[in-house]
Amino acid sequence: MAAKSLALEAEGLGKAYRIYGRPIARIAEGLSFGKYKGHREFWALRGIDLQLGRGASLGLCGANGAGKSTLLKVLSGTTAPTVGRYRVGGRVASLLELGAGFHMDFTGRANIVMNGVMMGFSKRELERKTPEIIEFAELGPYIDEPVRTYSSGMGLRLAFAIAAAVDPDVLIIDEVFAVGDMYFQKKCIDRIYAFKKRNKTIVFCSHSLYDLRQFCDLALWLDHGEPKALGDSVQVTNEYTAFQRQHIGSAEDLVGAKYPLSPLVAARGRQALPQIRDARLYRMGTDEECYEIDTGASLEMRVWWENPTPRETPIHLGLAFMRADMTTCGGSATFLVGVKLQGSSGCTVIAMPDIALLAGQFLVPVALLDETGVHRYHEYLLPENLVVRNYTREFGLFRMDYVWSQRDDLPIPTTTRMVNQK
Amino acid sequence: MSVETESPVLVEGAAAGVPAAPVPEAEPGPWVSARPTRTVEIVRRVLRFPHVVHEHRDLVVTSLKRDLAARFQGTVLSWAWPFLQPLFLFGVYYFIFTELLAQRFPDLPDSQKAAMGVYMFSALVPWQALAESLVRGTSVIVDNGNLIKKLAFPSELLPLNVVLASTTTMLCGVAMFVLATLVTPVWSAPGLSVLWVPLLLVCQALFIYGLVLFLSTLHVFLRDTQQLVAMFTTVWMFLTPVFWAPQAIGEKIRTWMPVLSANPAYHMVQAWRGALMGDLVVQFQNGPAAVVSAADVPWHLAQLALWALVTYALGYAFFVLSQRRFADEV
Repeated sequence: MAAKSLALEAEGLGKAYRIYGRPIARIAEGLSFGKYKGHREFWALRGIDLQLGRGASLGLCGANGAGKSTLLKVLSGTTAPTVGRYRVGGRVASLLELGAGFHMDFTGRANIVMNGVMMGFSKRELERKTPEIIEFAELGPYIDEPVRTYSSGMGLRLAFAIAAAVDPDVLIIDEVFAVGDMYFQKKCIDRIYAFKKRNKTIVFCSHSLYDLRQFCDLALWLDHGEPKALGDSVQVTNEYTAFQRQHIGSAEDLVGAKYPLSPLVAARGRQALPQIRDARLYRMGTDEECYEIDTGASLEMRVWWENPTPRETPIHLGLAFMRADMTTCGGSATFLVGVKLQGSSGCTVIAMPDIALLAGQFLVPVALLDETGVHRYHEYLLPENLVVRNYTREFGLFRMDYVWSQRDDLPIPTTTRMVNQK
Repeated sequence: MSVETESPVLVEGAAAGVPAAPVPEAEPGPWVSARPTRTVEIVRRVLRFPHVVHEHRDLVVTSLKRDLAARFQGTVLSWAWPFLQPLFLFGVYYFIFTELLAQRFPDLPDSQKAAMGVYMFSALVPWQALAESLVRGTSVIVDNGNLIKKLAFPSELLPLNVVLASTTTMLCGVAMFVLATLVTPVWSAPGLSVLWVPLLLVCQALFIYGLVLFLSTLHVFLRDTQQLVAMFTTVWMFLTPVFWAPQAIGEKIRTWMPVLSANPAYHMVQAWRGALMGDLVVQFQNGPAAVVSAADVPWHLAQLALWALVTYALGYAFFVLSQRRFADEV
């Protein structure tokens, strides 16, 4: 299906920004018909080759200024590439910034139409979708108040609701829903999920590697404008994390003495922080690696870690089983049960007999935590998801313990007892 | 007991609204590349502009409404403003030119003073539309930089919006003018020549649009443009027969008339006068007079149309050539 027509295709795409020293340089350049060059070029992006089929989802990761936003801008058509070319199959909608083009003095309702027509929708289409947008934004009576009076959260909800009503073939999202409360984020994420389920294409940029793995099958790691890795999102993000960890020690070189690093990083210099070397699941009591089980099977996880300075940075270990929609279905951590990780390196094993998870696919993140269990030194996602099968028809997340029985000696209670009634 | 197996992942968003319609396979769009814009493409886009407007008519209409509403919403007088403004301006200029600067029209008989005022007013109204468009329009692309950076939409509609808004307010002035001629004996009501107005409006709007497109594009790269435009507009107003009559100027200046009439605004105001006032003469005591003739309207209109087409084509071409760099520069 994907081979027939690609949703997005880019060949050698690059973008250079022109930097003029003085305004006069611009005029001189304009008047010399290309003979005089009054600007420096800054390459924000170079050598991007992409081929995305329908239903593909691509996540962009990389440090600040790596070119993620530039690539999104180029692909959404707001800025032209300097070299290379790209094409998109179908309608594109981009969410580079929520609420760009809101007019503060007008009501939310008026802004729905104004913002929507800006995105290329017909007024009739928007009027049809207005109830849905209002419902999604949950603005209630405020929809007829000027946007000026909205809280920032309300503005964001409205903006996202308008954009979510859009039904494009390709959706380009900059990290826009990193704001707003948890409830709103969840709604946005659900909406994007639904979009993905309908075989539409998503290009997405986020600093949250977790979101990236969740949403995207593919990931592109950009470094100083150039592609460093493109491939399966779990692999690419793991590589990116590893790279980041190697380079956190050398951060001192970059920032120098001018901006002191945090005491922790500064004291440790170039040394590595606590780190997970590897983590794998085994069938309990054997050396057989295992990622596909039936409900009720027993597993053990072995985590190899190192902690160069155990005295200054005591560490704990945590793991979880997570369903694809981010529901944590189970988990444990060493600080909860008082287990200690001793020494500067080691292998910690957690045995999990009789796993009660019912059928599904579960991500298995492992984390090295500090002594409070809040700060995460290192997050490591198992390269393979745990697939659980079960052959009973029990439903839900996990297998309950239960006993059914028939007791005809119990009469129907005659009065309904009300709780908490005065 | 029968048990329904639930799908493992239930996504609320899917249930909440968007129907899961099958996705039709969209054809891949055209390649977007860094190649410089070809002449053929420029010509094609210049010709295709009406199509763009039609395609985005909802955007055009909505932003026009918004623009007008933003200007008058929240004010006490609200929609009385576009009517009061020309009236006020008329009062000021009338007083200055016929009372304060009496020596400017020394031969103007008292009986003709009001007529001279109306003569000025009839040109002041279209001139205001031009001046307002230039002053507000020059910065329109830069001012909307955030939109251009964040949304992919046809940015040529931004200057169009300014032109349409000022044309709409101008029509309020025209309505005031017609109303004034109907209720006062100063000048007779417009005759059949008023039928030229629609065509005149189109030519005028096209001319102003071309100019604003050029200036607003230039302003992106050269931020001095706005200052220059403000100055230039004032000079231009006095070069245009808004407050003077071509027939009543002195001998010395009259030799310059061929140069002065090579001015699109000259044809614009004279066409409006002819269309709104028909054939009339303001007779001064000795000789020269302000003459308005309906018969001259087609001639002025043709001149204006020519200016409009050339200005529009050049302005639009300049815009198309520079457009790709807007997002980087604003």
